[in-house]
Amino acid sequence: MTSHAQTPLERRYAMLGLALIAPTVLIFCAVIVYPLISAIYLSLFQIFTPTLQGEWVGLGNYAAIWGSGAFWPALWTTLVWTVGTLTLQIVFGVAMALVLHQNIWFRSLARSLILFPYFISTVVAVLVWKWVMNDLYGILNHLLIVAGVTNVPLDFLGSMPNAMVSVILVGAWKYFPFVVIAVLARLQTIPEPLYEAARIDGAGPIARFFDVTLPQLREVLVVIVLLRAIWDFKEFDLIWLMTGGGPVNATQTLPLVVYREAFGLNQMGMAAAWAVSMMAVLLVFMVVYIRQTRAKGSF
Amino acid sequence: MRRAQGIAGNVVLNVVAWTIILGVAFPLFWMVVTSLKPQFELFRRPPTMLPETVTFEHYIRLLRDTPFLTYFRNSVLLSTATTVIVVGIATLGAYALVRFRFRGRETLAFLVLFTYLLPSVVLIIPLYLMLVSLGLSNTIFSLVIAYTTFALPYALWLLRSFMAGIPEDLESAALVDGATRLGAFWDIILPQLLPGIISTALFTFILSWNEYLYALVLVNSDGARPLTTGVMKMLISSFNIEWSLLMAASVMMSVPLIVVFAFLQSYLTRGFGAGAVKG
Repeated sequence: MTSHAQTPLERRYAMLGLALIAPTVLIFCAVIVYPLISAIYLSLFQIFTPTLQGEWVGLGNYAAIWGSGAFWPALWTTLVWTVGTLTLQIVFGVAMALVLHQNIWFRSLARSLILFPYFISTVVAVLVWKWVMNDLYGILNHLLIVAGVTNVPLDFLGSMPNAMVSVILVGAWKYFPFVVIAVLARLQTIPEPLYEAARIDGAGPIARFFDVTLPQLREVLVVIVLLRAIWDFKEFDLIWLMTGGGPVNATQTLPLVVYREAFGLNQMGMAAAWAVSMMAVLLVFMVVYIRQTRAKGSF
Repeated sequence: MRRAQGIAGNVVLNVVAWTIILGVAFPLFWMVVTSLKPQFELFRRPPTMLPETVTFEHYIRLLRDTPFLTYFRNSVLLSTATTVIVVGIATLGAYALVRFRFRGRETLAFLVLFTYLLPSVVLIIPLYLMLVSLGLSNTIFSLVIAYTTFALPYALWLLRSFMAGIPEDLESAALVDGATRLGAFWDIILPQLLPGIISTALFTFILSWNEYLYALVLVNSDGARPLTTGVMKMLISSFNIEWSLLMAASVMMSVPLIVVFAFLQSYLTRGFGAGAVKG
């Protein structure tokens, strides 16, 4: 930026730019950069949460996490949840977007109804689903019994693998609208002549989907998958409120472990070490995502 | 023949589509229905699809006998404060990021994107320690501070792409006509950016309204507790879970959202387009 001599006006503009960005930078440093660095620092201590008394343990917390083999089951649970709910979100989301792209009756009402789960609070979503899935009086058990799927009421959240399946399904319900809207926006920009050309070449609807629609969606799908993967990986509210990590710790994903260590077991330092370990895994996704956005030249 | 086939196909498509859509929306319908049923009707088997007797007793009880209104007030205060602060700062920040050249601009844009993806659980431990040592825990203000950690990157990211969509020529023309940089910002950029600002503000408000984890950790008194943790506390602290009451609370909690959906939905869709998806 200083390769050529700046005129006084340019220099004044640069100063103004810095003044405008200053509040943002200050807040970023105070509430994000500083906490992030101190999380890494805290992970080197053993801290009892109620008293906040700390004792230096170096890499002891990490040794405990990785040495005891506690990390891998938690990571596995997180990956099962992430991959499961993400797959459903993408498949169902793309299908729904294709349907909403057609000229169906009351399209804008349909769109609102689909969008709603994404915007309601996770607390509301969880309360409603817990009531729907209630083992004694829930409507879901009633419907399943009437439909002949099962004879006895199912315990959706208190046993495995039901709990994981339920959480994955509710996660898919809550977050698939994001995929719908994102894909729908892209569908509307696919040029119509592409379809006409395919039709003239004799391609049926299915061939048209695979030869025209899917290649056009490829780029946006990569971005959606990465974003949703990151967001699902770090999801706390939904799983915590649905199962609390249970039964035992069958649905205890990494964010839940961090929370439990810090505020359940009162081991702040250990919790920070878990958080940093989790960040390390997440960083892989993040780097890929950031590369992807950069490659598209939006930076 | 072909036309008849087309119509039949269309009807099939519509029926299938609407079956799925209503299935997706069913839990929300069930929430409203349950909130209107008297307690004894909940345990009827088979369940009644529509309430036999419609009652508003749960709503009345919610407003009279529970701290729901306090929680509601806290949530309104909290979300409004967060939105005003964050959108104000982010608008200036986004303007600087898009239209000014200065050292570190790229790094900053990168940092925004990075923090936009950062998990709350990583920040919450140091933030908790920080706010406790500042003596701010258990206040609405502490939550406003905590909420900026996710709301500010988000708002910056959205506003940055809205800002990038405004043609630069307009601003240049104003500058040639003798306007100052800030004058041009006020007269040219802001009016153009207004839909983007509204959209960002809506998203920020909804994000803050729905936040749960920070509220769970940082606030432990009814005086400052927002709706999310407040309503969950009503679930946990009652011995007999009163589902009708909880469903009534859920409906009431979604009221601001329903208002947004009814009147401002185009802004939500616009925010989607401008946000992460476009990259």
